[in-house]
Amino acid sequence: MKPEEMRYCSTGEVHLDFHGSTYVGLKYLFDHFGMEAVDEVLDSTAKKVYKSIYERLQRGDSSELICHWRYYLEREKCDFTLTENPDGTAVLELRECPALRQLAKEKIDDRPLICHSTEKMNSCWCEGSPFEIVIEPLENGCRQTLRRK
Amino acid sequence: MIPSDHFVKFYAEVFKYLQKQGQAAIDEYYTTIAEHQKTHCLDLFTSKGLAGMKEYWDKIIFEENCDADAILDEGKSYTFIMHHCPSLAKVLDNDAGVCDIYCDHCPGWVLPVMTAAGFYTVCDSVGADIPRCVEKTFAKLEDAQKYLEVVKKRHPDHPELIKCNF
Repeated sequence: MKPEEMRYCSTGEVHLDFHGSTYVGLKYLFDHFGMEAVDEVLDSTAKKVYKSIYERLQRGDSSELICHWRYYLEREKCDFTLTENPDGTAVLELRECPALRQLAKEKIDDRPLICHSTEKMNSCWCEGSPFEIVIEPLENGCRQTLRRK
Repeated sequence: MIPSDHFVKFYAEVFKYLQKQGQAAIDEYYTTIAEHQKTHCLDLFTSKGLAGMKEYWDKIIFEENCDADAILDEGKSYTFIMHHCPSLAKVLDNDAGVCDIYCDHCPGWVLPVMTAAGFYTVCDSVGADIPRCVEKTFAKLEDAQKYLEVVKKRHPDHPELIKCNF
């Protein structure tokens, strides 16, 4: 899939401070309403905001998710490798996560909550689909393996 | 990871959730956002005043791809005119549907920061479904009060579009 075929294809400059704002939102929900609230918002983000990615995965089509990973990680200028296979599976080795990089810059030490948001969104996307995404933590990022169940 | 480019779409989902919890939850979130935003701009505003606001928002205009103008009347006022807000535009272009209170988040955090910095600000949302707004900040309360009366005349039937910190 080409980036311009994605449902959302952002262009122009990138405001990396938004990763700090994402963390503030997740933390607020967690502190005031618990993990249930965090997961409810991430579920609606994954399935409703990213309806196109979600519905494609349900149909066995991972092309938009893989394009989304590549396009937005390139925009955020981080260190990663994305290996895509002909059967729609892929391995994303994210050696420098842009979100963790920004949190470190803002001196926020709460990796679990940011990483949970990725795990939860991946889990929501794969629910009921032929895919699963296995995440292994790395020093400053993670390896995400998109594979068939 | 939610990309930086899509933060506002996640942000809108947070507000939709908080709407179900009540206005107090929304107001407290604005306070939380303001405290976080202070780490980015309060020192600049208190040390450089209105010129510091121009410096901060010139960077935001660039990084967030805003179609906006910023006018500094040194010592008197700073005006931010958003002709097309990329943030609201992203929330409107959203398969999850719009969040009808989205525009309130800007005055929600800007006004407490301006209060902390010792300035007086009037926020004119223009229209909640139109990606345009005007924020004008004054060094003197009497100038801000005069401007507020002008803005009120623009929206005689929609006072909810106007917010200020005085």
